[in-house]
Amino acid sequence: MIGTRRRLRVPADLDRLAEVRSMVRDVAEACDAQPVCLDDLVQAVDEAATNVIVHGYRGTPGHLDVTAEQVGEDVVITIADEAPPFDPTGVPEPDLSIPPEHRTPGGMGVHLIRLAMDEVRYAPRPGGGNILTMARRLDPRPKEER
Amino acid sequence: MALETTIEHVDGTTPVTVLALDGELDASNFEELIDTVRQLYDDGTRRLIIDLAALRFMASSGLVALHSIVRIMHGEPPPDPEAGWSALHPDLSTTQSEVQLAAPQPGVARVLARTGLDRLFTVHPDRAAALAAV
Repeated sequence: MIGTRRRLRVPADLDRLAEVRSMVRDVAEACDAQPVCLDDLVQAVDEAATNVIVHGYRGTPGHLDVTAEQVGEDVVITIADEAPPFDPTGVPEPDLSIPPEHRTPGGMGVHLIRLAMDEVRYAPRPGGGNILTMARRLDPRPKEER
Repeated sequence: MALETTIEHVDGTTPVTVLALDGELDASNFEELIDTVRQLYDDGTRRLIIDLAALRFMASSGLVALHSIVRIMHGEPPPDPEAGWSALHPDLSTTQSEVQLAAPQPGVARVLARTGLDRLFTVHPDRAAALAAV
């Protein structure tokens, strides 16, 4: 099997999120990911990249290095940056028992990543920055139904 | 891909505005969507159907936009995502009627369900059904 791997380096600019999603969508299609799997991969990379830009770089200039590749039965996405340390895996779960109209609307991005992906790992980047690695099995079902 | 919005005012016993979204709703453009609805409210819109048929992606920032839109259409200032509980008003009914959704694609519907925001909206299968229900 020929490996499917793409890499994209973009400035930390919210206007570049569409390119990041597009790259991951291309890789997912090349891996024959089914619709739910494809949607999950695109959602996860968007939320994670948005967090890096908004909570990591906070308006200061910088870059994101995004890779997406098939590894065995998984699609693995990594996002590396040089922003101050920010570990999204430490963000607490939102309390979904609170009715939505009473809830603070922010803070859902990490929640959506956890529901979309099978594995989310954070590591500091050697020399400064962060590396987020996220993997999702090429399973056609949403995680809730597995 | 950018987000394009199309606005249509439908007269009837209850006038309603249909706001159709085409493209991708993300952190780069959700504030423009909130501004669009604020302008509609200022111009007299009191019932809003958001047609999601051509919306192929919605980020969590899109949820913030929907939440803000509900508050605007309820005649309240939109919540500040950073302000926490004090920004939230307790008087909205669980499923409000000012804003209704139509035709979400499966991925968008999944985001609404996974965050519980679907409970805030009546979701219609298509635009015609939404208009018929007004």
